[in-house]
Amino acid sequence: MNRFFICVLGIVLLGSAALLVPAKLGATQSPADEHVRLELVSERNALVPGEELLLGVRFILEDGWHTYWVNPGDSGEAPRIEWHLPRGFQPGAIQWPYPERLTTPAFTDYGYAHQVLLMVPVRLPAKLKEGEAEKVGAQVHFLICRDVCIPGQKQLELSLPVRSHAEASRARELFARARDRVPKPAPRNWKVSAASIGDEFILDLHIKGPSKVLQFFPLNAEQIENAASQHVNVIPGGVRLHLKKSNHLLKPIARLQGAIVVVDSERAYSVDIPVSQSIKNAHAPMAD
Amino acid sequence: MNRNLSRLLFLLPLLISSLYAVKVGESAPDFQATDSNGNVHKLSLYRGKFVVLEWHNNGCPYTRKHYESGNMQRLQREWTAKGVTWFTIISSAPGQQGYVTAQEENDYLKQMKASPSAALLDPQGVLGRLYSAKTTPHMFVINPEGMLVYDGAIDDKATTDQADISTAKNYVSQALEEAMANKPVSIPTSRPYGCSVKYAL
Repeated sequence: MNRFFICVLGIVLLGSAALLVPAKLGATQSPADEHVRLELVSERNALVPGEELLLGVRFILEDGWHTYWVNPGDSGEAPRIEWHLPRGFQPGAIQWPYPERLTTPAFTDYGYAHQVLLMVPVRLPAKLKEGEAEKVGAQVHFLICRDVCIPGQKQLELSLPVRSHAEASRARELFARARDRVPKPAPRNWKVSAASIGDEFILDLHIKGPSKVLQFFPLNAEQIENAASQHVNVIPGGVRLHLKKSNHLLKPIARLQGAIVVVDSERAYSVDIPVSQSIKNAHAPMAD
Repeated sequence: MNRNLSRLLFLLPLLISSLYAVKVGESAPDFQATDSNGNVHKLSLYRGKFVVLEWHNNGCPYTRKHYESGNMQRLQREWTAKGVTWFTIISSAPGQQGYVTAQEENDYLKQMKASPSAALLDPQGVLGRLYSAKTTPHMFVINPEGMLVYDGAIDDKATTDQADISTAKNYVSQALEEAMANKPVSIPTSRPYGCSVKYAL
């Protein structure tokens, strides 16, 4: 235990030292470093004043390890990014690619194995000195797990020139792939409804296409039983998804928010569905 | 036939646990378990007292957050002094992180100056599955009538950072304070946070 304490103290000291000496930041060592590599990347190769730039924190994980989605599921913790940006740079929210279900016999977590790029849009100020370089920094707090879990912290930095025009960077393929996996707004012709029935939420999706392979990932951690299988059956004009209510749910909920993933086409859509408490509505016969 | 029977007997605890999933506001399922000193505890014999269940894994960074800061020990001292029975429960299977022998657990309790009423050893995961314990820590509070009044996280800061403890709202203390004052528990459930419980695979 003493050794652990010294180790933790060491990490804390190194971490604080790193904060004070930005130039040496990449060197911060932690036990998680053996199993994950983090990078800060930019979609474009320069900062254009007044425009929005997409930055990304990339996790490259050793086989067997994973990190977590914004709702980590039954255990774990989502990564957090603290930005250290020049004056006037405004970071937006993380654009989370849809996760995979990480299942052990008793539990299901939501996360990412192998690699993931967490993209964040950054609004740049209208005035920047062309020809100069600006440093963008991010301190990332994260948890990686295999059979055991290791928390980590990493200070990342990237220097980008200010120019009137920017081109795609070498990381653009990573961004393109990540963007494909970020849930899109549900198509307008989708009709989605939800009802609370017994110990289930019933999601009826009147959508085009024959897909029966659907998964729902809840944004709220306390609404559904993550490990329960999500049974899908065909109804006239669509499909019905059965979600088991969480044991932690004591009151009716007003909305179900999350991502619906059409597994065979690898497309994800964000949904925000009012939940009807009436059994009548949900069981009403549907016209063909 | 014999094989089928033994299979059924093996599955029985799992079936029971899925049929009688614990739920706040309902009766906490009874159990019998052996502690690190060889004493047997039966939950129903603790009627008349508040009981706290704390799922534990000494290698999990979230558990370590609360032990290396002294937070868990403080809670154990504070609440057992007020008459609460506090069971630390270890459901890690042999070979998995957090699994300990009785002797190792006693050494750990001494070294960490921890003082639960007892540390229950649950290497088969029977108690863990009975309560659907998901994470370490995962906390439960049972009132003197034997009803579950809290099921969830230890506090509202789901991190491994010790610095977060001082600003966190402790759900267990809040549940105990409210229940002892005969008030309804204002936050009776929350998403437990931490490492998954290392059950036998």
